[in-house]
Amino acid sequence: MNLDNKKKIQHLYWRAGFGLNPYEWEANKSKSIKETATKLIQTAKNAKRLNYQSPYSIDQIRSLTKEQKKQKRRNDRKAVATINLQWLQRMSDPNVPALLEKMSLFWHNHFACEIKEPNIATQYLNVLRQNALGNFKDLVLGIAKSPAMILYLNNKQNRKQKPNENFARELMELFTIGRGNYSELDVKAAAKAFTGWTTQLGQYHFKEQWHDYGKKTFMGQTGNFDGEEIIDILLSKKETARFITRKIYTYFVNDQADDTIIQKLADQFYETNYDIGQLMQSIFTSDWFYNAKHIGTRIKSPMEFLAGMIRVMGAKFEDDLPLIGVQKALGQTLFKPPNVAGWPGGRAWIDNATLLLRLNIPNAFLDAEEIGITVKEELEAQNRNKKLGNVKIQVQLDRLEKTFGPLQTDAQLLAFSEYLIQPPVAHNLALVQDNIPRIEGARYFKMAFIRLISLPEYQLC
Amino acid sequence: MNKHNSRRDFLKKSVFATSSLMIPAFLKCSVPPAALKASQNGKILVIVQLSGGNDGLNTVVPYENDLYYNYRPTLGISKSEVLKLDNNLGLNPALSPLHNLYKDGLMTVINNVGYPNPDRSHFRSMDIWQSASGADDFLSTGWIGRYLDQQQTETISPHQALELDDTMSLALKGKINSGYAAGNLDQLKRSTNNKFLKAVSHHDHSHEGNTAYLYRTLSDTFDSADYLHDQSQIYKSSVTYPGNAFARSLKQTAELIISGSNTRIYYVSLGGFDTHANQKNQQTRMLKQYADGVGAFMKDMKANKKMEDVLVMTFSEFGRRVKQNASRGTDHGTANNLFLMGGGLKETGIYNDAPNLKNLDNGDLIYDIDYRRIYATLLTNWLGVDALPVLGNSFDLLGFC
Repeated sequence: MNLDNKKKIQHLYWRAGFGLNPYEWEANKSKSIKETATKLIQTAKNAKRLNYQSPYSIDQIRSLTKEQKKQKRRNDRKAVATINLQWLQRMSDPNVPALLEKMSLFWHNHFACEIKEPNIATQYLNVLRQNALGNFKDLVLGIAKSPAMILYLNNKQNRKQKPNENFARELMELFTIGRGNYSELDVKAAAKAFTGWTTQLGQYHFKEQWHDYGKKTFMGQTGNFDGEEIIDILLSKKETARFITRKIYTYFVNDQADDTIIQKLADQFYETNYDIGQLMQSIFTSDWFYNAKHIGTRIKSPMEFLAGMIRVMGAKFEDDLPLIGVQKALGQTLFKPPNVAGWPGGRAWIDNATLLLRLNIPNAFLDAEEIGITVKEELEAQNRNKKLGNVKIQVQLDRLEKTFGPLQTDAQLLAFSEYLIQPPVAHNLALVQDNIPRIEGARYFKMAFIRLISLPEYQLC
Repeated sequence: MNKHNSRRDFLKKSVFATSSLMIPAFLKCSVPPAALKASQNGKILVIVQLSGGNDGLNTVVPYENDLYYNYRPTLGISKSEVLKLDNNLGLNPALSPLHNLYKDGLMTVINNVGYPNPDRSHFRSMDIWQSASGADDFLSTGWIGRYLDQQQTETISPHQALELDDTMSLALKGKINSGYAAGNLDQLKRSTNNKFLKAVSHHDHSHEGNTAYLYRTLSDTFDSADYLHDQSQIYKSSVTYPGNAFARSLKQTAELIISGSNTRIYYVSLGGFDTHANQKNQQTRMLKQYADGVGAFMKDMKANKKMEDVLVMTFSEFGRRVKQNASRGTDHGTANNLFLMGGGLKETGIYNDAPNLKNLDNGDLIYDIDYRRIYATLLTNWLGVDALPVLGNSFDLLGFC
């Protein structure tokens, strides 16, 4: 089946980003795939460094009383929530390189890590952003040295006298080569090589007296390896290229893996010495990527769902803190993956509660309806459940209406639905029309918009 | 078209059957006998999760053990305060409703439950308990979800495992089938009272892949919301429950059970057990909330002759360290005790030896019984299914049911 160019551009923007707002759609709908994909990749390579200015000086942190430490933890939690919401905001912002945010989100899921302190969350996010489309080795090494991961996977406790294998194991099982390609002895040897990789005051710190300088035998090679050499050995194995490529394919293309295509991409990834940008360029510019079987078949993650909706609505929040609760209720809070394996994704996003919430959010955002659900408390909290109430929000629907018309005709409604929703929804349009009260003008447009993005098909991209 | 139409008809039939005759819905329906046998033996499991890591040593107190009082000079509960279970162990005084159940032979205490290489993170350890994994495995499905997966998709409804909450825990998520989450059935009814979404959910089209999955989930969501709401109108409890959210969830559970709903597993949580500082007041308050709620629930079961069919299991993601900390609290620990309650228990009382405070691992209790043996026993002997495909490994069964 031949897709028209508009649908292909939408596919590219949904997979490489978070969809298109009406301005982006007007500007790009007739452009060639190659030109658009190249631009998406190029702009994503210039990641601006994010900054976090701690209100505490190093001396202050050293001399905090118990009560002050408690207060700091509270402040930190708020600051991490702010960093979370700023990220969601960037994902929704058409002026920000979409692929950079999308790739960082992918890597956050790959190098999954729960982070409770704002300075190390920022540092970790910078590692993801600056290497998002760069070289995979730099990325792995950056992560291995990030205080966030060192704390999360207990490498601070990994010392010559008493090695802790947590990081070494996940490095192999989840971050590089994958299960079945290493032995328990390899885990022990790698753990030794990473002894002494610790943190001090939110920075990476190599502690010589904790490091094991002795000989290690790792994957058949023997030497006085340190952590970086372990990473080099892991990346010298073709299995690593295949493991990463497979993960990228199932995230960006289709959750049903195609082994032939994955092998071809993996060979190229290996030959380019793990150049992520080139791998993405190959995917986004190949013909098979635009095969109908890949279009509109992927269940959006909560972040893609929220960012895509905020983007298309041009939504501005008076107070976006409730979006943290919404993330939680939808099953994906940034900097809080369920475990080091990341969010399982796919159909696991959808159960009765999350689906109903997704279908009711358009009403909450556009028609001021109460979300009306209670979010589970934190496990460490003292029994404080939070009820999500109204979200105060401003949206810009006029540009959408100008582009697609007042939707009073079948043709307008069809064109608008094809812009909003990737899988076919023509069969539902009569139902949409039947369920809008007979009202004129902007109200009609808004109701039709709500109905369309409340369709189950809107959950797919 | 397809599967979910037949299930919808099935549900309608079961609502009708149950409301008129108060007979468990499944018995009235034309389900093939094999499926019926596998999925319905009339037994109901209620899981109560205490979140935050309940301090087991101050829940079941070794009141004759000097080491206990040495480790807990100010936090220890004195011999005169405990509600005695036997010559060594006694319950926290806040648990008097449980003490009555115990004396009536309706309760089993299992000591030292845990798993190898215990994790001290709340989230990770809860993940492990809910997914029934080992400490090094990361499963994306829960043990109750996999229990649902083992059943024929045609004959189950998601609300066969019901979490009394607005969001669903990992425990109830399966690969093919998942459970159902509903914090408040009236509110759920209101939020599904959307004419458009209802029409969409009943819109007949043949879909495939993920689209079909979304439509199936949507139509199940509406059908189960209707079913549960109807069921909740049949019987209104006359037992007095405390006025908190946890007790309301248990009351809702009791009403659904007594109405003969076809839910097999209910999942209820109570949080607030993370007692790092000034533990005594906090834990007493939480245990009282827990015990008063469960006490009322069991009274309801007894009054309605459901005691034999209902088994309550209570667990927490970990116990706490043996030694109290400097803030009159306790920090995250490892093995813990676990309660089972109901009329169908075969062995009641204290199931195994009390924690050994002489032999600690770096200040922590060492587990005796892998928590998955308890799941295996519940699956095999209570729910009547094969535990192996649910747990992935075989575990020796215990004798409590």
